[in-house]
Amino acid sequence: MTVSDIKKQNITATAQPKRGLSERLGSELRFVPVAVGLLALFLFFSTQSDVFLTSRNLNNLLVQSTVTGIIALGLVFVLLVGEIDLSVAATSGVASVLMAQLVVEAGIPIPLAVAAGVLCGMVIGAISGRWITLIGVPSFVVTLGVGLLLNGVQLMLLPRTGRYNLLNTGVEKIAATNISGIWAWILVIGAIAVFALLRLSTLRARQRAELDASFTWGVILPVALVGVVLVGILLFLENLHGLPMPLIIFVGLLGVMTYVASETRFGLSLYAIGNNAEAARRAGIKVDRIKITAFAIAGGMAAFGGILAASRLLGVSVSSGGGIGGGALLLESIAAAVIGGVSLFGGRGMVVGALFGALIIATVSNGLNLMGVANEARLVVTGLLLVLAVSIDRGIERLAERS
Amino acid sequence: MTDAILSLRGISKHFGGVKALTDVSLELERGKVVALVGDNGAGKSTLVKVMSGVHRPDSGKYIFEEREIQVSDPAAIADMGVQTVYQDLALCNNLDAVQNLFLGREMTGPWWTGFRLNRAEAERKARDVLKRLRLDSISLRRNVGAMSGGQRQNIAIARSILWEPKVVLLDEPTAALSHSAAEQVGALVRELASHGLAVLVISHDIHHFVLENTDRIEVLRLGRNAASFNSKEVTGEQVVNAMVGGNEAVNMAG
Ligand SMILES: Nc1ncnc2c1ncn2[C@@H]1O[C@H](COP(=O)(O)OP(=O)(O)OP(=O)(O)O)[C@@H](O)[C@H]1O
Ligand SMILES: [Mg+2]
Repeated sequence: MTVSDIKKQNITATAQPKRGLSERLGSELRFVPVAVGLLALFLFFSTQSDVFLTSRNLNNLLVQSTVTGIIALGLVFVLLVGEIDLSVAATSGVASVLMAQLVVEAGIPIPLAVAAGVLCGMVIGAISGRWITLIGVPSFVVTLGVGLLLNGVQLMLLPRTGRYNLLNTGVEKIAATNISGIWAWILVIGAIAVFALLRLSTLRARQRAELDASFTWGVILPVALVGVVLVGILLFLENLHGLPMPLIIFVGLLGVMTYVASETRFGLSLYAIGNNAEAARRAGIKVDRIKITAFAIAGGMAAFGGILAASRLLGVSVSSGGGIGGGALLLESIAAAVIGGVSLFGGRGMVVGALFGALIIATVSNGLNLMGVANEARLVVTGLLLVLAVSIDRGIERLAERS
Repeated sequence: MTDAILSLRGISKHFGGVKALTDVSLELERGKVVALVGDNGAGKSTLVKVMSGVHRPDSGKYIFEEREIQVSDPAAIADMGVQTVYQDLALCNNLDAVQNLFLGREMTGPWWTGFRLNRAEAERKARDVLKRLRLDSISLRRNVGAMSGGQRQNIAIARSILWEPKVVLLDEPTAALSHSAAEQVGALVRELASHGLAVLVISHDIHHFVLENTDRIEVLRLGRNAASFNSKEVTGEQVVNAMVGGNEAVNMAG
């Protein structure tokens, strides 16, 4: 190749190629198909039942999705690095029983007991993660074992009655609290403002670096979208009791964790490891440390989800954490993450996927319930949806690869 | 010889009973592209791994900028200014070009932002670097998994020079590439040399890539220096002959 060849090549190929829609669907617009699916489900059920779109029902639906959603949220981090944690449901059970025991038996203040529960979950996750990275055993085997072990611990922690009652201990207030009126507005507007500020700072940075930057696409549209959704939910639930605390907590965690996964160095490392751990290691990323942190996050989130469930159900028992083996709670948490577009093979997916996945599962269950469909049919539909979601996901990936 | 930046003198390396390298010497100079050629198993990759600090030689001298270096670990060698691009490229297919270029060395905000990534700054720097290397046809925001083999190879090379090394070692950059993609890589290799870097490139593509894009050809055979040619004054047959050794090679090639 001669110098003139190089020049020619250089002149003909300076324009930055545009990224096609299928490629965008594979990355930053990844949530669009699930969101469309969720919308379709909403439309369908609203035609099938008059009750579906009422404030009371949507309130129930949203609150129903929070426990699964929070557990799925933590699970996303483990899935992103290409691992899995089958002990999340059991972790949520043990952490909630521990919290209940501290409150009921030892009279420890609730915030401390909750913190102890969450910390316990994080430690469980970190130990699993350390073991997996140290010995190099597959995470599904280790966490399967840890899950069973924790089921045993849960039974040992429970009193002979097999249950701690949390009614009138104050724990039940966590889930029963509603924020309404001016405080709800402050919360919603504050959240929108934080989001807008982050988008603005991104735009400013791009302008300073003399990169293409669009105020409409980069700030106005995303902020409008988030604003409409949040204000919409608030308006819808306002005439009931206001915003339910579990929902506020879930959305808050979602925001923080989205920031962690998509804006920080730690988050980027998760994606890098999930795709090519060896490349990440050679680039100087501490692969083991990041993986252990991911497991700790999953454990902490699971614990918190379990505590929230205990608060809603006014107690803990043998069946907390989905019962032996994790049961439906474990399966639905994994399904929520996967339906939300998080790959089981690592490196792909977004944190909001946990929200969409959990909402879809809760919507199907809630809607079919209202239609008077039996429980077994509900399981069939959820199962089919899971398969459908992964298949659509795979299709999009193929399209992106081909372009 | 004053231009030599990295010299190996009498390097030997064995793995158990296998003598991978015996008394090998090599010099890399600023602004020059040296091709390292040889048959399969001749010891080319082993030599590169000695230079990049992956293997500690059994004997011999490693001289960098006129000082003898004790080969300790790859990170120290990289910090010294010797970057290596291995054949597997070590790219993350789910990340875009900018993210791959800065992987593990991201620019970030202060701790209270959770070390927020400074994406805009990274993108600007990446754009400038690619422009300087005449690689502006590469889309910065596209996942590298969706890119062609030549583009991926070039991103891996661009990443290696992002932190301004003095020496770049490339192990078979054109092995899996089409002819035109290999030409892109060849152009980039010459571009690096024109910026004053010393470049070593392993290649089996003698007739096109090596003769057209390098200044000097070093031949290894059975772990020993077999020949050294000026790329402008040699034919492909002569190089192949030296690689395989003996006259039967000429017949095979001819
Ligand atoms: N880590 C190792 N352990 C044992 N033997 C090795 C190791 N690395 C290389 N060898 C041996 O050293 C010799 C030289 O190998 P090397 O990979 O350097 O050859 P090469 O010239 O790069 O060949 P190719 O063109 O096939 O890449 C071979 O006999 C190989 O089997
Ligand atoms: Mg080799």
